[in-house]
Amino acid sequence: MSKAWLISGSPGCGKTTWILKAMKAHQGSCGYLRLTNSPTNELAQLPQTEIDYTFLKDQIPHLQNLSGFHKVVTSQNDDLLVFIELPVLQAHTDQSTFEIYSRIKNQLESLGLYPEKHLHFGREPELPSQDILEFTKLESCSHELLGKVWDPQSLNTFWFELVNGAYGDVYRAKALMNLPDGQSIFFNWIISQECSQFLPLRTISPPNGRPERTSELVIQGIGLNCTRIQSTIDLCLLNNAILEMHQLPLRDRHSEAIQAI
Amino acid sequence: MIERWALVSGLKGDLETYEVIQRELKNTRAVKTLFVLGDMVGPERNCDALLNRLKNPIRGELQPQCIYGWWEEQLLAEQGFRGEQKADALRLNQGEEAVTALLDAVDPSHLKWLASLQFGFIELDCGLIHGSSANVGDHLTPETSPLILLDRLTRLDVNRLFTAHSTKQFHLELAGGELNSQVKDLNGERQYQQKVSKQSIIGIGAGPNYTIYDVGSDKTQFLSAGGQCNTSGNGFA
Amino acid sequence: MKNAVISCLHANLAAVKAVLNDIDQQGIDHITCLGDLVGYGPQPNEVVELIRKRAIDTCQGCWDEDIIEGLNACECSYPSQLAEKRGHLAHEWTAEQLTDENKNFLAGLPTSIRRDRILFVHGSPNSQHEYLLPDMNAFAALERVEKAGADILFCGHTHQPYVRELKNGSIRVRLKNTSQNNAEEKEMNLPMRKIVNAGSVGEPRHGSTNATYVIHDDITEEIEIREVTYDVNQTCTAIIEAGLPQIFAWRLSHGFEFAEQAEDASHVCER
Repeated sequence: MSKAWLISGSPGCGKTTWILKAMKAHQGSCGYLRLTNSPTNELAQLPQTEIDYTFLKDQIPHLQNLSGFHKVVTSQNDDLLVFIELPVLQAHTDQSTFEIYSRIKNQLESLGLYPEKHLHFGREPELPSQDILEFTKLESCSHELLGKVWDPQSLNTFWFELVNGAYGDVYRAKALMNLPDGQSIFFNWIISQECSQFLPLRTISPPNGRPERTSELVIQGIGLNCTRIQSTIDLCLLNNAILEMHQLPLRDRHSEAIQAI
Repeated sequence: MIERWALVSGLKGDLETYEVIQRELKNTRAVKTLFVLGDMVGPERNCDALLNRLKNPIRGELQPQCIYGWWEEQLLAEQGFRGEQKADALRLNQGEEAVTALLDAVDPSHLKWLASLQFGFIELDCGLIHGSSANVGDHLTPETSPLILLDRLTRLDVNRLFTAHSTKQFHLELAGGELNSQVKDLNGERQYQQKVSKQSIIGIGAGPNYTIYDVGSDKTQFLSAGGQCNTSGNGFA
Repeated sequence: MKNAVISCLHANLAAVKAVLNDIDQQGIDHITCLGDLVGYGPQPNEVVELIRKRAIDTCQGCWDEDIIEGLNACECSYPSQLAEKRGHLAHEWTAEQLTDENKNFLAGLPTSIRRDRILFVHGSPNSQHEYLLPDMNAFAALERVEKAGADILFCGHTHQPYVRELKNGSIRVRLKNTSQNNAEEKEMNLPMRKIVNAGSVGEPRHGSTNATYVIHDDITEEIEIREVTYDVNQTCTAIIEAGLPQIFAWRLSHGFEFAEQAEDASHVCER
């Protein structure tokens, strides 16, 4: 019989990291659903993003993405464990977790999902609690970066400026960014932590033009200047000629390696 | 595995000497690579035949790996390949006639190939350059201040620097030494010592004088085309 | 006699005024400036005019040279595409603002100033673009001073003030493969020399927003690194009012340089 767990918590509290750990521990197959398009006003403040799923899929190659499904078919997936990730902006109270669940209950039931567990960060002792922050009235910026490739040093400077407040008070920032050597790096930062997390994805894009995989930047905070953020991003991205300059030697090496085989 | 390099420079259009060197290399064991460290052209004779041969080696001879030298730099500058620069150094030292003779010695059809040559090669932990990392006309000899030699090695971050512009054959090893630094800044004072690590500068000679370098044993052999082995290189003056 | 050495003013008028005031208060009337009067900051004409009015001995910095010659700095001076593009924005703005008279003044500056065995340069004796960082290879650092024929080399460009004494050095060399059967060996004792970096008045990068400069007493041979506070907000406001990128104001107010600097101390621009 397939199972579903609902994992809720404020942005940056560690939901995705915890889910990855639980997926790795689970013997059978795993599914993932991120709820962001809830009809509630609160969730409407959070940007839709593919970053978490892309990162999890890179780490758990057989992961099933259940976003966009009309109904989760479980009859042939008896060992399937579905993780439903639900970002919420307020910190835990018993009242609020009850409200959270009742708000999305219908949505889950229509998908055929009946969570047997609801783990909420800040409530359950088994979940880490150091990053539980009050997130209310946050602004957000979302920057689509599909096919964009960064100059690595410029990315370094931009991220440093971003998380140190050059474009407003950033509470949370996460991203998947493409580098010219084919790497995609998962950037993760929250105000309560001292430093950013940088994790290269396992999958490397071939050196043939612009990568086609998910790439985006999502920022939440106060007083954000999204226009200035975009202007700096534009100064950091490689044009076709420079990208080709980076990729040409990689392509030669790539073809030499293939010939050697 | 034994691997040796042959290092040649300063042929200045002398195809005959180049052919003698190629013949001798055929009979020299384990020479895998031939480096030509510039000055393939010069004003004394027509250089087209040598340049054609370097570009199109005949069957069975070593394919030369070429970089540009001081004479190529003068030629390329005069022919407009170096922005607004001209062959000022040549004009100053040898006059207008030498500039004209150099232009006459090389058919313009070779300029594109000469302009495509690199300033130097980095092979393993060795730098191969006509002059040095500072300048294509850098004149390094056993008498050059060791401070300058260390600087040239440091700039390239190599342990051995092969140089040709001085035309001398020598193998100089930086064998030891140190230098103390005391630095004061806004964070306070600190002291440290920098040691000389074992590094070498090797002058490969020019024209008929060339060098065989054994990569594994770090030994040099100074030779002269058509003649005897120069059992030794230059000593300290 | 005491000589104050200032560098890298970068069109930051409030910082320049504060430093000149600090020098005046100590009764020092001999000042040497190591260039980069302009670049990034919002008051290029005002700063050049103040230096001209005070008749301060000045050598040309890389920014002063590039403003005259056109964008000439080799690409490797910029550590990233972002820094390069921001640098170009600042260059265009500054070139547009500077009066012809002030441009002529910058064009006429010497690349070095010599007083007996003391040499003043912006970057290094090799190039206005070369960085002499405090931890660069000691032998390469000594080579720069020796090449200049100096006992003390004053430089700027890195925006980090320091005094480096190079002493008790020697190098042993051995000639291998010579006519003698035994390898020839000789040892060279190295002279004691000093490199003094004056830091930066207008764009510090030593961790705080304070302007820095140095004072050299040529009788006691003592060198003092001075830190001077100034009204950073005044310059930040001027940056925004001038229409320069706002990020310059944020970086300056946090003690970060306007654009990052190249890290490779041994690099020499080959242009």
